[in-house]
Amino acid sequence: MELLTLVAGWIVCAVVGGVGLALIWRIFDGSIDLTKLISEPNGDASMSRLQFLIFTFVIAISLFLIIVSQPHPAFPSNIPPTVLSLLGISASSYLVSKGIQFSNQAGIEQRAPQVTIYPANPTMQYGGTVQFTPKLVSLPGAKVKWSITAGAANGVTLSDTGLFTAPAAPNPFVTHHATVKAEIDGRPDIFDIAVVTIS
Amino acid sequence: MGLLREVLVAEMALLLATLAACIFFQLTTGRINTTSLFYGRYSDGTQYFSPERVQLLLATLVGAAYYFGLVLSQDSLTQLPPVPTQLLELLGGSHALYLGGKAFTTFTKSS
Repeated sequence: MELLTLVAGWIVCAVVGGVGLALIWRIFDGSIDLTKLISEPNGDASMSRLQFLIFTFVIAISLFLIIVSQPHPAFPSNIPPTVLSLLGISASSYLVSKGIQFSNQAGIEQRAPQVTIYPANPTMQYGGTVQFTPKLVSLPGAKVKWSITAGAANGVTLSDTGLFTAPAAPNPFVTHHATVKAEIDGRPDIFDIAVVTIS
Repeated sequence: MGLLREVLVAEMALLLATLAACIFFQLTTGRINTTSLFYGRYSDGTQYFSPERVQLLLATLVGAAYYFGLVLSQDSLTQLPPVPTQLLELLGGSHALYLGGKAFTTFTKSS
């Protein structure tokens, strides 16, 4: 009987080791793709998935240490309710987060990178200023380059932060319009244009 | 039997450690997608920097490290130590803040 136990034990050991080795190998060669391990359907990384992953690992490794530290490895006789509460908070937060996310289309669809200038086409007086702001979609932390593409001869100015200043007085020989462009730094294909009317 | 136990323990330890190392390496090198980790979205798809995500990550890292420290600091590793209620309250509050912020912006358009 002892021999049978021993043989069964070694078989289990070999199977577990083989499966583990195969898993690790397939992660290394890319057959198991972890790139979207904490990603949402819309391509954003998910904080709720990340915290769930961290707590699961910490509790799993702690449990493993407890089991193997005993003279005869055994599952602990008691799991403290507060540990279950911790996992409950982590898991339920993840589930509620998914519920909130899937209740809106923006949380599911992958949107193309886009910049939009606000206000879109303002009308202003001579001597006035307008602060333009870029609204970014799928471009987290992107830097915006501001420029005047038409109407610079009016004497208008535009700062690096998008503050547009009209000339103090009209010039009868130039138009009363200027065109402002917001372009994503390093992505010249992503831009928006606003026309300013000065009256 | 003793040898079998030692081999199994070593095998499982190696498997867990390698898996954790793989995930950690891929997370820190950007192979696992971490784009927009600290950004939320309004209902119109516009992104914004989200402090509630930053505080959740900090609370998670502090909570996880503290609990793992509790496990390792035990005199004898025979039982999982209970999680201090203050830590549970901290994590509960942190998650509530994160979910509240997410719910609010999910149903709000950007200004």
